[in-house]
Amino acid sequence: MAGPITYTEQELVQALKERNNQAFGFLYDNYAGALYSIIKQIITDNSELANDVLQEVFINIWRKIETYDQTKGRLFTWMLNIARNASIDMLRSKSYQNSQKNQELPDNVYREVTNQTIIQNVDNIGLKKVLETLRPEHRVLVELAYFKGFTHEEIAEMMSIPLGTVKTRIRNALLQLRGYLK
Amino acid sequence: MNVQEYIESGIIESYVMGLASEPERAEFERLCTLYPELVTARRKFEERLEGYAWENAVPPPPEVKVKVLEAIGKSSNIITMEKDKEPPSPMLPKIIAGAAVVLLIAMAYLYYQTRQQNKDLTDTNSRLMVSLDTTRNILQRIVDEQKDLVSNPNVTVVNMVGTQVAPKSSANIYWDSASSNVYLVVKNMPKLPNNQQYQLWALIDNKPKDLGVFDATDDKVILKMKNTQKAQAFAITIEQKGGSPSPTLQKMQSMGKTLQSQ
Repeated sequence: MAGPITYTEQELVQALKERNNQAFGFLYDNYAGALYSIIKQIITDNSELANDVLQEVFINIWRKIETYDQTKGRLFTWMLNIARNASIDMLRSKSYQNSQKNQELPDNVYREVTNQTIIQNVDNIGLKKVLETLRPEHRVLVELAYFKGFTHEEIAEMMSIPLGTVKTRIRNALLQLRGYLK
Repeated sequence: MNVQEYIESGIIESYVMGLASEPERAEFERLCTLYPELVTARRKFEERLEGYAWENAVPPPPEVKVKVLEAIGKSSNIITMEKDKEPPSPMLPKIIAGAAVVLLIAMAYLYYQTRQQNKDLTDTNSRLMVSLDTTRNILQRIVDEQKDLVSNPNVTVVNMVGTQVAPKSSANIYWDSASSNVYLVVKNMPKLPNNQQYQLWALIDNKPKDLGVFDATDDKVILKMKNTQKAQAFAITIEQKGGSPSPTLQKMQSMGKTLQSQ
């Protein structure tokens, strides 16, 4: 799957910045699956739109590779955040909202989101699987922050929990998550 | 600073997963330059996260790769997806390309037209400038002439007063005895029917000499009339349009005598 040439991360970044198409093909073959996974964890119910997001993510990686700064993190971390942000943007977009039209509009969007969160994590993949190991009150917060893209402030308001508590719980949940990844 | 405590606060995970706030990110990045162990810990978590993501990879449908490669193939003018619109159909690139061509042609045409218009306007403008110059010169000549008329010591002003037939009629004659030029300034002459005009006469030894016709509408303009070397008096009569060979004296409107009459 990697083709005849393989790259170290350093070489790959260099080649991408030089607009090397072959390096880009290598990047796609090696990372598309991992990025598609995170996209599908956020856009859980619409493969068509998840595909669109994946396409957009790779085009953006190609366009923005100049802005990638190796001192701030690994290439995958950078791409993962692009994928996560693009997915959350899609989640909030009109086309996604339209695809959800058959669902009734809830009186309280926030409550609906938290309900969905608890109901949906049945057939979870990837990181969501890890979330199941967390205590429910932690799990909901990570779900809202990481997979729905709400800010800590928004979560504090919608859950009626102090901001400090939200932050501490999310940090604790992430630390547990790290333990699980070992 | 207790680096270990900082690491155990969950900042690394929060930073790597994109959940840290902007001030937290900035602080973390700054501290990373000071404490290499922070960078080590960050890399460790990044590698774990990456490894886990690889293990849990979901193969995307092959057509996505085709679309991506197509898009970056034309990457000099990259098409970004409009997130708030329906996903692009295969027809869309063709429509966009078609629209781009139409737009290009339209712009080229508009450009050509605008250039043409601009050229026309420039031409018209320079023609107007020439015409303005000419008009200005004429005006200047008139002004000079008038100044000359007033200041020239050879010019005699003859005040024409109304007769019994037309007591209100009045005009001035400026008569240059050196050049024989005769100028008429209408001060107040009643309007005439269309088939009639005023005619100016010079009376020389009691014989009238035609000095030309004018209309009452030439009010307050200096009219250059025919020259005469001699004149004991000037007279204005009403004649048929175009003037008469000899004056109709019962219709004499105004008259003024000159110094030559003495």
